[in-house]
Amino acid sequence: MPSWPTNPKYISGDTRRIDGPEKVSGRARYSSDIQADGWLYGMILRSKWPAAQITSINLEPALKIPGIKAAITVQDGERMVRFYGEELAAVAGTTKQACLDALLAIEVVAKPSPLFVVNETEGKAPDAPKVWENASNVDASSPREQGNVDTAFGECAAVIEGFYTTPVQLHNPMETHGSTASWTDNGLTSWASTQGISSVRDGLAGALKLDHSQVRDITEYMGGGFGSKFGPGVHGVLAARLSQAAKAPVRLMLTRFDEALAVGNRPSSFQKIKLGALADGTLHAFEFDNYGTAGIGAGAATGGGGSGVVLPAPYIYKAPNTRVTQASVAINAGPACAFRAPSHPPASFGMESAMDDLAAKLGMDPLELRLKNDSNEVRQREYKLGAERFGWAAKYKKPGSSPGIVKTGVGCAGAAWGAGGPSRRTQGEAQINPDGSIEFRLGVQDLGTGTRTVIAVVAAEMLGLKPDQITVKVGDTNYPPGPGSGGSTTCASISPTVYDICTKALDQLQTQSGITDARGDNWFAACKKLGVSPLVVNGNWIEGLSTKPAYGVQFAEVDVDTETGLVTVKKVVAVHDCGLIVDKLTTESQINGGVIMGLGYALYEERVMDDLSGVVLNPNFETYKLSGIADVPDIDVILVNMPERGVIGIGEPATVPTAAALGNAVANAIGVRVGSLPITPAKVLAALGKVPPVEKT
Amino acid sequence: MKKPEPEKFGAHSRRTFLKSLGTVAATAATAQVESVAAELEQANAEKVIGPNAVPVTLKVNGKFLKLMLEPRVTLLDALRNYSSLTGAKEGCDRASCGACTVMLDDLPIYSCQKLAIEAQGHEITTIEGLAQNGKLTNVQQAFVDKDALMCGYCTPGFVMSVTALLKKNPSPTTDDVKHACAGNLCRCGTQPRILEAALAAAGVAVNRTTKTEVIDYA
Amino acid sequence: MKAFQYATALTTDSARELVADNGMYIAGGNDLLGLLKDYLVTDPKILVNIKSLPGMSQIEPGDKMWTIGALVTVADLEHDAGIAKVFPGIHDAAMEIASQQIRNVATVGGNLAQHSRCWYFRHRDIQCLKKGGDMCYAREGENRYHCLFTGNTCISPVVSSLGTTFAALDATAIVLRDGKEKRMNMAEVYHLAWENPLAHNSLRPGDMIVRVEIPTARSRSVYMQVSDKHTFDWALVSCAAAAEVTDGMLSQPRVALGSISPVPHQVEAANNFLDGKSLDDATVSAAADMILKDAKPLEHNAYKAPMAHALICRTLLQLKGNA
Repeated sequence: MPSWPTNPKYISGDTRRIDGPEKVSGRARYSSDIQADGWLYGMILRSKWPAAQITSINLEPALKIPGIKAAITVQDGERMVRFYGEELAAVAGTTKQACLDALLAIEVVAKPSPLFVVNETEGKAPDAPKVWENASNVDASSPREQGNVDTAFGECAAVIEGFYTTPVQLHNPMETHGSTASWTDNGLTSWASTQGISSVRDGLAGALKLDHSQVRDITEYMGGGFGSKFGPGVHGVLAARLSQAAKAPVRLMLTRFDEALAVGNRPSSFQKIKLGALADGTLHAFEFDNYGTAGIGAGAATGGGGSGVVLPAPYIYKAPNTRVTQASVAINAGPACAFRAPSHPPASFGMESAMDDLAAKLGMDPLELRLKNDSNEVRQREYKLGAERFGWAAKYKKPGSSPGIVKTGVGCAGAAWGAGGPSRRTQGEAQINPDGSIEFRLGVQDLGTGTRTVIAVVAAEMLGLKPDQITVKVGDTNYPPGPGSGGSTTCASISPTVYDICTKALDQLQTQSGITDARGDNWFAACKKLGVSPLVVNGNWIEGLSTKPAYGVQFAEVDVDTETGLVTVKKVVAVHDCGLIVDKLTTESQINGGVIMGLGYALYEERVMDDLSGVVLNPNFETYKLSGIADVPDIDVILVNMPERGVIGIGEPATVPTAAALGNAVANAIGVRVGSLPITPAKVLAALGKVPPVEKT
Repeated sequence: MKKPEPEKFGAHSRRTFLKSLGTVAATAATAQVESVAAELEQANAEKVIGPNAVPVTLKVNGKFLKLMLEPRVTLLDALRNYSSLTGAKEGCDRASCGACTVMLDDLPIYSCQKLAIEAQGHEITTIEGLAQNGKLTNVQQAFVDKDALMCGYCTPGFVMSVTALLKKNPSPTTDDVKHACAGNLCRCGTQPRILEAALAAAGVAVNRTTKTEVIDYA
Repeated sequence: MKAFQYATALTTDSARELVADNGMYIAGGNDLLGLLKDYLVTDPKILVNIKSLPGMSQIEPGDKMWTIGALVTVADLEHDAGIAKVFPGIHDAAMEIASQQIRNVATVGGNLAQHSRCWYFRHRDIQCLKKGGDMCYAREGENRYHCLFTGNTCISPVVSSLGTTFAALDATAIVLRDGKEKRMNMAEVYHLAWENPLAHNSLRPGDMIVRVEIPTARSRSVYMQVSDKHTFDWALVSCAAAAEVTDGMLSQPRVALGSISPVPHQVEAANNFLDGKSLDDATVSAAADMILKDAKPLEHNAYKAPMAHALICRTLLQLKGNA
């Protein structure tokens, strides 16, 4: 049975990111940096109507613009558009300026429809305009019941009812979606900004009716995905088709404006929660009614509920009497897709807010309420570790009891994520040269998660070398296949694979060289015995070195200015486990990243749509607000190393409980709940009763 | 500080200018020739150019880039799409994310909101111009050492902002770093380590903003 | 952006001539390029670079009055030791404007003249009232960032931090209009925006702000704002106050609010009320009430009233501690 070394030299240590120097020097070439020979600039024309029938698209005027080499429609003939920003056509030209002019020249004849809805609460009304013809906007999942929730509430010592809402959140990776595509007689090569090179290759092949072997994706560096960059997307297929039409490579990257419209988002939630407990705090009854939107991807027409509209409830807790009803609501907006821990951050926010509200009603410390009701061993330990580091006992005060105008409050929340369910079909290869140099090639991708470095660390450990002696190549579908980077599964997929490659490599090397142990000091001597032929070794994922899930708890401390409503986060303590820590340095960065994304979700981020025009009002960084360096608090990370569980994943659990912990800290500070994310100064002031009611004229 | 000097599009000395007038100059009354020359020199400097492409010379990282650009081309566009200098990134094209930060003389600016023609006559420094002979600068090395980067797309912009800060203020406080980097966004969440890296590069005692403890479970 | 011609003007006369009736001046270019990239203004045929105009790039101290050239950058203001000493409110405002990358190129003139930030105005596919369309979408729509006070049906507020601070300091902008200098106080600079929904300010095409004159009569000044984020975020509400303070008593006080009205919002009655008073909690609160008296909140921006109230009190009280 394979097992990880017990006193590792590199594993669980701090190894610097091996692609760091490339990134800090500007040498790293991202998908948006590719400059293939004779490349053209590509751009997409989008619908300015949220609902319309497109009767014709005239590309001729665009083709006359100097520099334009190709213009295509997404779809020929009449068609419907169902959201503002839906793709209509695309052009390729020698300059960005030519493309901008070309887009303005395209003539679209459309019959806009006044029947559209961009508000999910309105969208679920029975007389709301239908997003999809002949299909209800609402797709309700069948209610789940357990026990008898109606009588159970009567048995409770304390019952709370709350309404907790979370907005549509946009991924907004720093590098937008897009690719460079080069389609020649020899096949199609794509350099896509993707977190799944195979998904791009397969998607392009399918859409363009090519053999898989004719399509290749190369993604050496990409600027973030967070779940939104799987598959080629409409833009990827357009880039390829433009390349074919123009007979030149085409780089088509989306603008920041486009990112808010059509490449995915996290569904919203509107959670009505009724929660009751017995006198000793044991949860006894739970009633949950939630709806949210996944844009046009929700509702009955598309089988609803995709991408995290349906929430796990009561999340990580249990109650003997429950009733859960959920529905997804279609609106005329871009479809949702997976976004870092789909469904968990909103589920956590709703449930953990309810827990704190219940604790307040019971007059109980909310940490105690959790320890009472959360039987998970790992989280129990994490709460205790975190509480001590955080200073919970000294910091926790009754809700609203903080004196002064700027009130301090604390909160906590827990997470669970089925992380690390590795991809069993991961493969890889290593080429060992007679001079001792070694190159690993895996068809996975590094999103900034540290994939390359993980490979180098595991290989160095197994071979007795140093990580900087390992050359790592990823991001090419010509390499042995690996999983897309989603679900926090990459680390658990590649680590056992590299282990296997190394074991086999050592085996073969030892056999060929006659040296019994080819590791470490003997490595170069053993390799020299290869003579003139490098050794290429294939390996794959093997059992016994990785598991799932991961847990985690977070504590937060905030200051709330009760006169201006401004929330300032003072501190977050994040206690996380991911089985065997492979690289501590990059793991911490993942956790920082998850916390900061959760902070944005809690305080700043929401996609805003205009009911009257159906457009997205904040398709930019000015009014879709991301946490800045001055908004980010001190973050203390406690990593619970569990080598006996093997390698798990960390990317997603790290972002699950943050908004909940922050929301609870705000409620603790001001003594009243702001149940709606983002928690803006406006909402804080309203919760404090300071905002005068507005007379509707 | 801006100097009130006329911008020179292909500067002429008065002599070459007058020479170019040929017989016209010869026939101009001597008494008026200086004011005419001055007027014509002004007209030359105030010449209307574009909208088609015009010659633009940019001094980037000490080297001259001679390009043909329409006036509406931004400096970022010029770097990324008319030269191979893709280090400065396009994150928003609206002066709101900092991924395109370069230095114009000593000042960090958003290259996406600067016309390329207006960047002439300045020393432009991009991320590619920092490391000398392949050796990373203190700031770049600090970013690598402290893991102040993840996907790396925002990194060139942050490195430029921090580099510019340390040039002006070699001993910054935490607040100084936050102030200098307020205009740079990161989606991966590297901000705490950027703060650490900036202070480390400055040799300022670092009050670690992230503390990690590893607890063995068993 | 659409294509345009470009020229650098060396005199204000040639600038005016070059810009004619279909061109626009470019100074820092931050606001202008943003407007052009989203096709928000009538496409200029030519951009006239005014950064080489003489005599507009200096900060000139003076005994009774300081003069700030319109081409002085916000970064220059932020870093000027004299400004920090004599007009701390201007320093406070300057350092919070946007980000350093923007401050390094943004000019005083541009900050005053910048166009609306309303997200309907800024949206390329919305033909709002301000762009000559039929209606103001914000009025019944998403108006969390919009005006508490308004004179016409456009409810987009002035966002210039410098404009708000200059209003408190009773500064005068000198505007060159067809070769003649026109003096405008801040109320006059923005007055047209109050009256005419199409206007962002009172400047006419071809007008150029050349300098701002600030009397030194009020040795104390403060600027504060509240935003959703801690930095690099437009103000939800901002407040500037300036006065002479002797033995804790105000003289010549002026308080102006930004981001809640198309003009920097000042209430003369409140200024008069504060004159001669001591700075204490009750007084400042009463003044705040007067300043906010006729506020007409919309569906989503009523929070601005208590927020402004708090800001006014804090800003005024800080005048006390201003050395």
